[in-house]
Amino acid sequence: MIEFRNVSKVYSTGTHALNKASLTIEKGEFVFIVGSSGAGKSTFLKLIMREEIPTSGSIIVNGMQLDKMKRRQVPMLRRTMGIVFQDFRLIDKMTVYENVAFAMRAVGARSRAIKKRVPYILELVGLEGKADNYPSELSGGEQQRVGLARALVNNPQMIIADEPTGNIDPEMSYEIMELLSEINKRGTTILIVTHELDLVHSFNRRVITIDKGVVVSDTKDTQA
Amino acid sequence: MKISGFGYLVKEGIRSIWTNRMMSLASIGVLISCLLLTGAAELLSVNVSSAIESIGGTNVTRVFLEQQITDLEAVHIGDELARIPNVEKTVFVSKDEAIRDYQDTLREDIFQQLIGEGNPLPNAIDVTMTDLAYYDDTIAQVLSVDGVESARDTREIAMKLTNLNDLVSTLTLWIMVALVLVSVFIISNTIRMTMYSRRFEISIMKSVGATDTFVRIPFIIEGMVIGLVSGLVSSGLLFLLYDVVMKTMQNIVSFKFIPYSQVGLWASLAFIVAGMLIGALGSVVSIGRYLKKEGNELLGW
Repeated sequence: MIEFRNVSKVYSTGTHALNKASLTIEKGEFVFIVGSSGAGKSTFLKLIMREEIPTSGSIIVNGMQLDKMKRRQVPMLRRTMGIVFQDFRLIDKMTVYENVAFAMRAVGARSRAIKKRVPYILELVGLEGKADNYPSELSGGEQQRVGLARALVNNPQMIIADEPTGNIDPEMSYEIMELLSEINKRGTTILIVTHELDLVHSFNRRVITIDKGVVVSDTKDTQA
Repeated sequence: MKISGFGYLVKEGIRSIWTNRMMSLASIGVLISCLLLTGAAELLSVNVSSAIESIGGTNVTRVFLEQQITDLEAVHIGDELARIPNVEKTVFVSKDEAIRDYQDTLREDIFQQLIGEGNPLPNAIDVTMTDLAYYDDTIAQVLSVDGVESARDTREIAMKLTNLNDLVSTLTLWIMVALVLVSVFIISNTIRMTMYSRRFEISIMKSVGATDTFVRIPFIIEGMVIGLVSGLVSSGLLFLLYDVVMKTMQNIVSFKFIPYSQVGLWASLAFIVAGMLIGALGSVVSIGRYLKKEGNELLGW
């Protein structure tokens, strides 16, 4: 669950990235955040992950109040979310399996749990045959599925995807979106930041549009 | 921290030493030099202290008698000296006993010429004083006794050695401070290199919710292993070099050095502990700075 109440963010450079933005995303929702570049989408994500702190207003993510959160509590917040990056962010010198296992190791998981969980997740994203391949041996779509597997492996309440289809061809993009829908059906909240409107329109889901730091439209009332 | 996770972190730490082997090697080299220099200074200080104790620590002053004094006369003079206030006891040291003290340091053929008739040493008496505060008065009275020629003033030697020891101690302290700073600086730079080469991984770890402690551990282990290796190599070098150096020094200045068996273990232990502490400190310095700044960003958005 995400709740923004009158959130403003002004950077030290003087840029007003967000201006009194308010919105609520409930648990289990599937939401697109759209807007042109510089509209404030990145700031929105950084605030959710608490990479940035709002200048004013309050933010609650998965039950935690971010504007009052201490630095050392941030890891606990991040463990409730899985992040999918536009450029995949896979470690080249690690195999697919190791890349996914790495995310579990980073939060101190036991080897036994890792050995059990990673193959299951790889199967879920359809990469069970590619466990020993290196990222460079995979297509863009496959690499993003590794990214998705990594985001899912710690069983987060929410998946945040930043332009997940930005670097892959349209056909594969559709597959990734289908996969995200599938994950959503299991109860995970999905938040996708994108500017690919065609893709957004082909999935009849809630769309929040941000422009110049303000929420200009929200299809909440008309969503399927 | 779960044990399996910790094992992984240890492996990561050791792996980065190999990945950055040139810098690691440089750090180990610098740290070894630092440890050995500091160790050498400290051991010199310990040896000088022990020499002072053996010379100045006793209240015994050797009083030399005139050359023509016979053994029997010498014993009488000894009795006379013993009656002087502040003289606790007197021990007669015959010229034969005195020359035997040099047996080890002289060549056998020369020594043979010096025993018996050829002995150039006078008979002597070791005078033990009750209170060294009255040293001057007592010595004046000793010298006024007939047949007494001179007294060896051990206080002067003791004082010179004490001054030398103070100088060595002060120098040791400053060398130590300077070298520890240099070592910490070098190691923190090495660790920073590792950190930059792994900043991508660190950002992924942070994005999935790794704690700062978890991110830090491999680097601290890297620093400590560098310190451990340096400490071990330094200990090995100390073992190989200590006796050789001490014997060389003994040829220049005659003194009895503390054998390796008495200092070796402690010095080695100190090297290893100091090395590991310096290594850990170097890592903590650089990783702390990194995590506060760049480490909090999840690489460009």
